[in-house]
Amino acid sequence: MTDDSGSIRERGSAALDRLVDATAAERITISLASLLFAIIVGAVLVFVSGFVADCADPFIYLPGLGYGCYNPLEVYWTMLTGSFGSMTVIGQTLLQTTLLLFTGLSVAVAFRAGLFNIGTQGQMVLGALATALVVLELAAYVPDNAIGMVIVLSTGVIVGAIVGGFWGMIPGLMKAYANAHEVITTIMLNFVAIGIAFWLVQVHVGDLTTDSVQTETVPAVARFPATISGSRFSVIALIGALLVAAGIYLLYTRTVIGYDLRTSGIQETAAEYGGVNAKRNIVTSMTLSGVLGGIAGAIYVMMVQYRWQAGIPPLGFDGIAVSILAGNNPVGVIPAALLFGSLKTGSVAVDLSLGVPGELVEVLRGLIILFIAMPEFFRMIGKRFGYGNGSVATDGGEAQ
Amino acid sequence: MSPDERDGRAATGTPSSVHLDGITKRFPGVIANDDVDLEVERGTIHALIGENGAGKTTLMNVLYGLYEPTAGTVRIDGEPQTFEDPGDAMDVGIGMIHQHFMLVDTMTVAENVVLGNEPTKWGGIVTDRARANRETQALADRYGLEVEPTELIEEISVGEQQRVEILKTLYRGADILILDEPTAVLTPQEVESLFDILRELIAEGKTIIFITHKLGEALEVADEISVLRTGELVGTVDAETATREELARMMVGRDVLLEVDKPAASRGDLVLDVEDATVEDDRGVVAADSVSLGVHEGEVVGIAGVDGNGQSELIEAITGLRKLTSGTITFDGRDITTDSRRSRVSAGMAYVAEDRQKRSLVMEYELRRNGLLGRQHLRPFSDGRLIDWGATADYVDDVIEAYDVRPTDPSAKAHSLSGGNQQKFIVGREFERDPSLVIASQPTRGVDIGSIEFIHNRLLELRADGKAVLVVSSKLDEVTQLSDRLAVMYDGDLIAVVDPETVTENELGLLMAGERPEDLDLDGARIRGTPA
Repeated sequence: MTDDSGSIRERGSAALDRLVDATAAERITISLASLLFAIIVGAVLVFVSGFVADCADPFIYLPGLGYGCYNPLEVYWTMLTGSFGSMTVIGQTLLQTTLLLFTGLSVAVAFRAGLFNIGTQGQMVLGALATALVVLELAAYVPDNAIGMVIVLSTGVIVGAIVGGFWGMIPGLMKAYANAHEVITTIMLNFVAIGIAFWLVQVHVGDLTTDSVQTETVPAVARFPATISGSRFSVIALIGALLVAAGIYLLYTRTVIGYDLRTSGIQETAAEYGGVNAKRNIVTSMTLSGVLGGIAGAIYVMMVQYRWQAGIPPLGFDGIAVSILAGNNPVGVIPAALLFGSLKTGSVAVDLSLGVPGELVEVLRGLIILFIAMPEFFRMIGKRFGYGNGSVATDGGEAQ
Repeated sequence: MSPDERDGRAATGTPSSVHLDGITKRFPGVIANDDVDLEVERGTIHALIGENGAGKTTLMNVLYGLYEPTAGTVRIDGEPQTFEDPGDAMDVGIGMIHQHFMLVDTMTVAENVVLGNEPTKWGGIVTDRARANRETQALADRYGLEVEPTELIEEISVGEQQRVEILKTLYRGADILILDEPTAVLTPQEVESLFDILRELIAEGKTIIFITHKLGEALEVADEISVLRTGELVGTVDAETATREELARMMVGRDVLLEVDKPAASRGDLVLDVEDATVEDDRGVVAADSVSLGVHEGEVVGIAGVDGNGQSELIEAITGLRKLTSGTITFDGRDITTDSRRSRVSAGMAYVAEDRQKRSLVMEYELRRNGLLGRQHLRPFSDGRLIDWGATADYVDDVIEAYDVRPTDPSAKAHSLSGGNQQKFIVGREFERDPSLVIASQPTRGVDIGSIEFIHNRLLELRADGKAVLVVSSKLDEVTQLSDRLAVMYDGDLIAVVDPETVTENELGLLMAGERPEDLDLDGARIRGTPA
């Protein structure tokens, strides 16, 4: 009775059902298995690429194939030591992790509430610029000591949050009151944000003594104190990020506001039935998401770059991947951001010390992210299309 | 190929047209059909009845090629068949008419009928409209289906749209027609004319399988009735000799009270008072026009009407989901016309919404989270800021137990429940909060007989407890049995309030179809002019 196409289709949907219903432990196991697979596939890729490349000291000669340049084990070992091998690189890893925590949480906060904020990048860029300008101004009026630092840093974070929040509120308003889909509007507002920031800095508020598009460098009082020598990483920012993760987790699991926010985003009509102003809550969710994007920008200026400079790395877009990898769970964002952060610093080390081209290292990084994120991604899609426990319509006609 | 040629395969001499042999359909964790045998004779109407989740639709989806059976064979005219998809089923002459019509509103009747198989001219690049109209008309005449081929779908009634669906299926050459709950959206008069059409179709040699859970209809129109329960075939009976009680017992597995036993009302104070309420629909068109209605303590007021005559908008205005254009609403002596939905809920207004999957449940939430919906700001569920999940879990457990919601797992997602269980959960959640007014819109839509009985009894218990109850339903027997006073809405007007004890089904049907009460032979006593 069954033929191939039918059984494949049925097996596919059975697999989706299982994936959607997977427990937390199963999902972690799946992620670890995916990591292993990604490393194996990447190793083969690196190994094979080594025969195409030219190098002075090949590590292997295979008759018929020629000289192989790259040792996959060495590459992965360097990646690991390059992200955790010394205090300095651990500092760099945690620095990236802190930023990715904020951008990942920014995306997750919206996602949890059923909204897809792709505008974290723009919110971060504008938040960063506002922070840079305000702290540059403010630094002149505060004492050059710990008190001054507390004042400047906290003001900087608040300003970044306000501007990022404002930039997130715009697509929220458009979604709630004009029915404009947030995916489209947030993508477009990214371009607008980056364009505005670039223009402002280039023409009006930038450091006009240099040719590059950047502001002046912020003074020491506006820099997060470094925790580890050799790195700009500050544990204060990391602790702040972890507290925010915990706060968002509690918001969505324990509070009435979180319940209302989430219900409004997931099913607006049901939220109205539940006595909630769904439109206002959609705006709030997007604003909150923007606030976190803006804080990421503030931290970037005050902990990493010490100025606003054109070409801010795509941390906001990485945040989308972090959030998806975490299943949009604010606590899950913590390990996801750590993985991303370590891959980022680790690949820099591979690039620098082994002479493996940066592009190939990017591929290895991409493979790991892809392999780990795919099961979560299929899970989300499966959920969207109604797979999972009991959603099989045994009586579809009447389920209405 | 003309429709007549398609019909050519009709007579092959074998007596049984559809033969399902040992059909089993298993989904992960669920057996939807368990070794079901079904035989349908050519030229007969076969009703398939059963509760929600009994496996009726799954069985028909197997026959229609949407699902592949796990075991068993489908034979059509004696030939074993394997269907990859509905297209294959269509090729051997099986057509299905779904509960929700699949018609293009802005196209004409004929265009919809020929859609996908259009007759063309000029070498196949242009639809031959004249021929489409002609063929549609010929097909309609042959089977006695009254339609006007050139009318637009959006301009014709629901009953006519259903006839277009039937024509569409016939045009594609169907010999075996499967109708899924075809009467759900029709007035009694339209139901009658649908039955006439079905009789005409079998006289022409077609075979009809009719899915329903209305026993009366199955008995009236079918030749044979098969009953499914929890995926198994309980039996097939001759409609001539079967009784409602017997069928209900087969469906539910125990004796069922079909008539509601209703003690006399003891009417108290006016709880809800709607005066001259005018409400617009989403497009800004007046949906309910100057409607006045009152509901007292200890009284059930029913609103009857075909779907889409303003009932939904009126109810949404009362419950605070829609703004009034003019008029006032008073609840427990307080003017609540401009109050928010939230303050109406806090004041004791329970509401079972018509569209449960859109309004009353968040489909992605577990039952536990859904138990909170609407009361998340109130004690004991929260202190206004933090949710008390313990108190919520207790409440949800009570509702699940008292209302027999299955599965009994409070962490099951709402979308994984069958429609009937979703409804029981909502009804329980809303009724158990000690409301002073209960508004129930289509309270038993898509709910099986056993649960209908239960929900009706709960509504009457609320009435006995002195609550005010407002019930909107397009099921006539439901509103007439439950109500103490019955209002009929047509085209935004509340055209009459009648005594459900004395009004006949025929009179109600005519009122629902827009007949003015004064034109009917209703005696004065039965029309209670102004309500309240």
